[in-house]
Amino acid sequence: MAKKRPDNPEQAGPKPAQPKRPAQRVASGTPWHPFWRWLVSLLLVLHLTAVFVAPWDLSTDPALPPGYVAPGGSQQLPPRDSAVWQQPVVPRKLHRFFNYYLNLAYLNHGYQFFAPDPAGSNLIRYQVWDSGGAEIATGEFPNLDQQWPRLFYHRHMMLAAQTGDMGERSGRLYAKHLIRLHGGQTARLEWVLHKLLSPKQVLDETPMGAESTFVVLAEIRETADAAFNSNSEELPVAIPGAGQ
Amino acid sequence: MGIISDSRSYLAEAWQAWNRFWFTPTDPTTLCFIRVLAGAMLFYTHLVWSLDLQAFVGPDGWLPVDFIRDLQGHQWSVWSVFFWIQEPWQLWCVHIFAVLVFFCLMLGLFSRTTSILGFLLAVSYAHRVSPGAFFGLDKINCMFALYLMLGPCGARYSLDRIRRLRRGNNSPVVPSVSANLAIRLIQLHLCIIYLFSGLAKMGGENWLAGTAVWWAVANPEYQSIDMTWIAGWPVLVALATHLTVFWELFYCCLIWNRFFRSIMLWIAVAIHLGIAMFMGMITFGLAMLFANISFLEPATIRRWVDPIAGRIAAKLAGSQ
Repeated sequence: MAKKRPDNPEQAGPKPAQPKRPAQRVASGTPWHPFWRWLVSLLLVLHLTAVFVAPWDLSTDPALPPGYVAPGGSQQLPPRDSAVWQQPVVPRKLHRFFNYYLNLAYLNHGYQFFAPDPAGSNLIRYQVWDSGGAEIATGEFPNLDQQWPRLFYHRHMMLAAQTGDMGERSGRLYAKHLIRLHGGQTARLEWVLHKLLSPKQVLDETPMGAESTFVVLAEIRETADAAFNSNSEELPVAIPGAGQ
Repeated sequence: MGIISDSRSYLAEAWQAWNRFWFTPTDPTTLCFIRVLAGAMLFYTHLVWSLDLQAFVGPDGWLPVDFIRDLQGHQWSVWSVFFWIQEPWQLWCVHIFAVLVFFCLMLGLFSRTTSILGFLLAVSYAHRVSPGAFFGLDKINCMFALYLMLGPCGARYSLDRIRRLRRGNNSPVVPSVSANLAIRLIQLHLCIIYLFSGLAKMGGENWLAGTAVWWAVANPEYQSIDMTWIAGWPVLVALATHLTVFWELFYCCLIWNRFFRSIMLWIAVAIHLGIAMFMGMITFGLAMLFANISFLEPATIRRWVDPIAGRIAAKLAGSQ
């Protein structure tokens, strides 16, 4: 049997009732009663586990078995819902357990700043016409000349960047907003990727804004009276902040 | 028997260390200073929404509430006061109230109440724009708001403190367990952020190859100071890239070591000031630096801030 350690207040043997509780608190350097310390410790462990689990789960992907060869030797990957994929079970289950708490406190994030690799920026170019077909507005966002201060510009940059995650419907909604804003009838949007220049291209004095660096990824046309069926397409379900 | 007694003594020592780490009363200076800085950041962040409030936060605008709720899967736990607001006047009332709350939090007026309200409001805005217009700044703002609620963030450098002095209450600020809890949580949360940011970069070919910093600074939409001159300095790009990855990966271990702490904090200053100055993300870069302040000793902060705070307090309260 282990010896009692009289110098350790947590394991100290029976003592007179009066000095025991203050001694416990003073020796551990805290005025808090052990009951509160245990309770708060439990909450701390739960909270920190939740904070850890969110990026852990969001950073994991299902994996194929080593040496997997598709039936018929095809190079195609199996569908995402195929049983062949091995799921990261522990982070998935823990994330599901803490999901409500993480959402409530806005902690459901991946913290993947500039990862896996820095990429080019997205822009949205637009034109708005009135019912007579005359152009009443044209522009793009983000635009440093129009959006100031820098944080306001950055919010517009995020609108353009996150269109890729939100799907085509977000582009149609931007168009609707621009039509309302300018009192127009029709709008056309281009979702553009501004490709990055390599060091060699910069040393060769290729301008950052060269036309060849802009690639139109998608084009959207929208009219003021177009029906907008919210169930017309399958929407991605995103946890706020997931993977960002 | 030896194993059992050793295990018991190990567990007892571990419990004592745990208690020392979490429950030792601490001077709330660090937490109070973070309140001033984070409160200013929350105030500024939300003030900027005023420039186009209806478009970003209103029921319609760029991304209507219905669409955002669809994307969020209509989860009850993803909540925002802006999901229920319909009229522009209601939106503006809530917004003006929020900006006032963040202003009071920055100044330390009714700190306990404003810290709780600040958290509820910060999460409300963040959920309304996620996905859509959110980015890392919103995550760090909400982290600050969450932990400021837990401790006596208005004990120093606050109008609350000056009000107490004016009432003749000159009692010194006492060390507090809850201040320690709040600071420890900011520290550990920051470690988790850097760890997963570093791990995510390990999945990027350019981060591993040492070229990622080039692609970050060569982005014209982010760029605020032209850094493309480093195109001719590939070794410098590679060193900066590798340093960033290793620093993020090992921050969670080395920041606790007293010999490495200063080095890790100076690298944090270099990286986050670089992000702020060269990549146009001044707010995000500063917010991350504010979080790193959690690793500074209260005595260090008092040495810097007390002379200024003392002068302000003397003017407002007539004494320090």
